[in-house]
Amino acid sequence: MPASGFERRERRFALALLAPALAVLLLVTTAPLVYLLWASLQRLDMSMPWLQGFAGLANYQKMGADPRFWNSLVLTLVYTSSTVVLQVLVGLSLALLVLQIPRGQALLRIAAILPIVLAPVVVGLFWRTLVLAPDFGLVDLVTRTLGLGSHNWLGDPQLALISVIAIHTWQWTPFAFLVLLATLATLPPDIYEAARLDRAGAWQRFRHITLPLIRPAVVMVVILRTMTALSAFAAIFAATGGGPGSATEILNLYAYRTSFTELNIGYGAALATVLLALTMAVSLLLFRRRRGVA
Amino acid sequence: MIAGRGPGALARRLALAAVAGLLLSVWAFPVLWALLTSFKSERDVLAYPPVWWFEPTLEHYREVLFGASSILPNLWSSVVVASVTTVGTMLLALPAAYAVARLRYPGRRASGFYVLATQMLPPVGLVIPYYLALQKAGALDTYGGMVLIYLTFSLPFAIWLMVSYFEDVPPEMEEAALLDHAGRLGAFWHVVLPQVRGGIAVTTVFVFLNAWNEFLFAVVLGGNKVRTVTVAMFNFISVEQTLWAKLAAGAMVAMAPVILIGLLAQRHIVKGLTVGAVKGGGRR
Amino acid sequence: MHDVPHPSRRRIVHQGAALGLASLGAPWLLGTAHAQADDLGPYRAAKVNWRQAEGESITVAVIPAGYFENLITLAPQFEALTGVKLRFEKVPPGQIRQKAMLDLSSKTATFATHAADPMYYPLYTANRWVDPLDRYLSDPALTDPAWFNYNDILKAWRDAASVDGKPYGIPYDGEVTVQVYRKDLYAAKGLKPADTLDELLANAKAVHDPANRVWGLALRGFAGAGQNMYIYPSLLRSFGGGWFNGRDLVVNTPQAVQALEWYVNALTQYAPPAVRNWNWPDIADAFSQGTLGCYVDAHSSAAVITNPEKSKVVGKIGYARWPKGPSGKRVTSIWNWGFPINAALSDKAKRATWLFISWATSAETQARTSWKFAGPAKRSGLNRSSLWRAPEFAAAMQGAGDNFIAAALESLDQDTDVDWRPRVPQWPAIGEAMATGIQAALVGQKKPKEALDEAQARIQQVLKG
Repeated sequence: MPASGFERRERRFALALLAPALAVLLLVTTAPLVYLLWASLQRLDMSMPWLQGFAGLANYQKMGADPRFWNSLVLTLVYTSSTVVLQVLVGLSLALLVLQIPRGQALLRIAAILPIVLAPVVVGLFWRTLVLAPDFGLVDLVTRTLGLGSHNWLGDPQLALISVIAIHTWQWTPFAFLVLLATLATLPPDIYEAARLDRAGAWQRFRHITLPLIRPAVVMVVILRTMTALSAFAAIFAATGGGPGSATEILNLYAYRTSFTELNIGYGAALATVLLALTMAVSLLLFRRRRGVA
Repeated sequence: MIAGRGPGALARRLALAAVAGLLLSVWAFPVLWALLTSFKSERDVLAYPPVWWFEPTLEHYREVLFGASSILPNLWSSVVVASVTTVGTMLLALPAAYAVARLRYPGRRASGFYVLATQMLPPVGLVIPYYLALQKAGALDTYGGMVLIYLTFSLPFAIWLMVSYFEDVPPEMEEAALLDHAGRLGAFWHVVLPQVRGGIAVTTVFVFLNAWNEFLFAVVLGGNKVRTVTVAMFNFISVEQTLWAKLAAGAMVAMAPVILIGLLAQRHIVKGLTVGAVKGGGRR
Repeated sequence: MHDVPHPSRRRIVHQGAALGLASLGAPWLLGTAHAQADDLGPYRAAKVNWRQAEGESITVAVIPAGYFENLITLAPQFEALTGVKLRFEKVPPGQIRQKAMLDLSSKTATFATHAADPMYYPLYTANRWVDPLDRYLSDPALTDPAWFNYNDILKAWRDAASVDGKPYGIPYDGEVTVQVYRKDLYAAKGLKPADTLDELLANAKAVHDPANRVWGLALRGFAGAGQNMYIYPSLLRSFGGGWFNGRDLVVNTPQAVQALEWYVNALTQYAPPAVRNWNWPDIADAFSQGTLGCYVDAHSSAAVITNPEKSKVVGKIGYARWPKGPSGKRVTSIWNWGFPINAALSDKAKRATWLFISWATSAETQARTSWKFAGPAKRSGLNRSSLWRAPEFAAAMQGAGDNFIAAALESLDQDTDVDWRPRVPQWPAIGEAMATGIQAALVGQKKPKEALDEAQARIQQVLKG
């Protein structure tokens, strides 16, 4: 279509609106990205400064043969997919539920926001010592009263992963809940009129009317929560430190430990770059499905 | 979407309320437990089985607010950092999100994805370059520096959250406004923005929250002048011991401003809800 | 909520009123510090010009800890003495090494000095980030050798802070690992504190009673170079193991496997299951609650377990040295926090920093942060042998329990071992690899030999770069 004056004005308006935000982002994120990529191609290890120099793709090759890296990759995928799915399922269900309760919604909304408001490092510590510690913690008290016995929630490798997924889900589901609540609330009620007249059941109404309408919001929540899960740090670090062994060492944590504890900045940067690539790939996939079959 | 009338409906409503109540108490329980802990003496904190009835004490709040390791100055730091970040973010994000959601211009999809992509940079990889950059600019341990860095993860987040809300606004409303010669800016300001009030409220809360709870950048790029509550929390996690009750009290105090923001913002979420909740429209 | 009994209500009201009064509390301590500042006599006795760096301003990074808090309240005295402006920044212990290293490596000179982990000095010197301190010690304009008395500082700690015989940091506060036990529980069963590792297990078995929530013993399990890798090296050395085979680092020797097996066994049989995620504060907390028969950890945990506000076992505590291993050795830790000098500073700033370091580590300041300190927390990790033997120190540590000073002093004199951990620049990575492996063995994820073999493989990889 030929660009009319109207469209040109729209374009200029759009760019004017977008420019400030874009400028800030370009300014502040380009240099670090370049540094990250550069560092990943270097041999940069603070504990062995005599080895410093250009390394080409050596860091990436090392990664391929590093079992701890593959372990962290698998853990990341499991951790991220579990917690995001749980968050959306529970958050959406809760939102739908709350919508049907006219009174006390304010109270419910405030209660829902509490987990996110608590500082992550406090969350990790509290869960580690006061809630999940075997024989000393609350969860153990509950399971023992219920006859399910005492378990080492954070000390057993399998249970530890489940525990940190639980902690992260606990902390972030309220986000999905509130965002989807606000989205559901903006749906005009008359769209259900026709369906009701057709005597469509509640589930059918949900599946064919509500769901398609909130799909973009749901996908956006999924994308944002995925990005948070991929870069989860403070709570999991305080709760398990990546342990026991490397049972909860997601890629982000592995990159942190490599850069800041083992001081191998070059390799750590390479790991971070891989994490970035992974995040972009996953987001792009989800992004494309946002509009889906319109 | 309220459950209809009739006795079956009442039972259903009660059941729903019970389920919601149960779920939410599970959610809020750890926080409530922390609240309880903040009033216990240090001895009782780790007592097992847990102590439910005890002599409450205010000494931890006294210590946390006025004592030698008072976190009041840190509270102030956090308030400044989080508020400025939030205001800055919303000012930049709202127009940008509208552009991405509604307007047509070349490179729309690409710029949209670029914005999202900037948030994908893992903080782990960013700490060192940010430290070096801020140091060269003399902006380490300054509010300006910290806010600028915080913008990098707040902006993309806020933009993309708002995009969904903008997309939900029926295009007919804007077209009507344009036909009235309101101009694009007018349409945006007078017609579209009020529609997404609920979305703005939610986004504001979360942007504020993310800035408030951030730890890694706060500890590395901050110092004595800019020391937020997340860092100050460690005053109570000293090397010798964790002062659980004081930590809990500190956490409660640190949560207070955010709850306040939440309370203020949620009224706007309510407005959105009222429109949808009552069948047949109408306002309360 | 139920009716709160009357006394508590009254207490709350009192405390509420006291809220206002208490806001005057912190200045009280400073006031005492000011009073002491008038008495700078002991410092002026040194034949050093304290004011030679007047006008400089230095920042010191420390962790939040009682022994540094005490020092911070004395800062006005230092400023009055030298005219140097002194600022402290409290960095969480998990981040202080990283932040200090970021500063050192980028030469930003933000921190004139920081509380340094002695295991990091080889790393610092390999990168030339800190100055050797011998020239400061031997410079008469900067140090009065008679007054400062460098050799009075505990030898093991001095050695820990030195590389190739040259000091790079001056120890400020440290700890010694001791056996801590419930003397009432032991007395009831006629037990004596363990002299060998086997006896330790036997004692633990005797008091082990999980049904009544008493576990026999506890040792750190949390994965970390400063956590479970704080206990393991002592075990390794007491089994006669070492870290090097010639110039190669070898961690999966037969003695290493034996030591790790002992560690795993002890914890599996006699410790609470949660111990695998426990760090020293968790152990001290558990002991305070009366759930442990004994533990082996830093002497400074005494402050926690003797705190009447937190502990239920005050007055029931005894101390002894680390038990002997099969090789007949007992090995305690040589852990200490010391202060180095940032090589990126200007000359005048370096002198100012040295003045700070000599002030902080001098006998007088050590005393002023310990028994002369006006607040409730008196430091117990003093850096000088003369102070450890001082009657005032014994008086101040009276409440700690039986044999506290004797056990600690004996350990410091006889059980220290500088090569307790491998002193190489790559220590951070090696410590991490070992810690992960140890924890994998502790939780039963791997057998001890397997875990150590894996750690060895990982360490080889790290050393290659």
